[in-house]
Amino acid sequence: MTCRELIAILDDYLDGTLPDDLRADLEDHLANCVPCRAYLATYRKTRELGTTAARVEMPDEMRARLRRFLRDKLRGS
Amino acid sequence: MSRYAARIYRLAYGITRSSADAEEVVQDVFLQVVQKGTGFEGRAALGSWIYRITTNVSLNKRRGKRRELETSLDELLPRYRADGHRDGDRAFLVSDWSGTPERELLAGESRRILEEAIDRLPDHYRAVLVLKDVEELSNDEVAQIVGDTVAAVKTRLHRARMALRELLTKRLGARA
Repeated sequence: MTCRELIAILDDYLDGTLPDDLRADLEDHLANCVPCRAYLATYRKTRELGTTAARVEMPDEMRARLRRFLRDKLRGS
Repeated sequence: MSRYAARIYRLAYGITRSSADAEEVVQDVFLQVVQKGTGFEGRAALGSWIYRITTNVSLNKRRGKRRELETSLDELLPRYRADGHRDGDRAFLVSDWSGTPERELLAGESRRILEEAIDRLPDHYRAVLVLKDVEELSNDEVAQIVGDTVAAVKTRLHRARMALRELLTKRLGARA
């Protein structure tokens, strides 16, 4: 397995959906490739960070404005 | 209302990256929900429809905006040599910032770097990223919402994550 082939299936590896033989090949490659170990570690961290960073909550004042907006629209319709 | 409003806002903000635009999307989507009335088969159908309409309204709102921030994704993907090994400076290839504590990565300068990296992704890549990673939908559900195949969604997700990783490593790797 090359670095290119490994990186192409990283999501399946991290999701635990790789067939056993492919997973074994990937782990063999990882054992002997420092750049791919670094890639895997930083890719995994990127997935985690993206999830947290993109999670934003609606501000309370916006929620109140939305209620007023909908109330006005419903009254007008 | 509150449960759907939170979801719509999260997705709209994730795609538009603008609080003002996301608020307008929420209003547009709720108006469409009110107009559509009770013509849904059930709660699941409503949820899925809301995600679909929110994605479309958000992408429309972004059309023509902030293009200068977006980078061609191809420039941010790993480069390879003819033998399939990665190409590039060895220090960059082995750079590993993953040991940096998450609270540090999500604060101050690192947080700004992360937000900028997310901003630079093309809109339709951010859309699948938010649907999958934040809303925790399955690949099948995301594919239905964005009107694409599961294979295309998986490819888009992978390319988005690779691009994000590349941007983060360029900026955070030197500090690790």
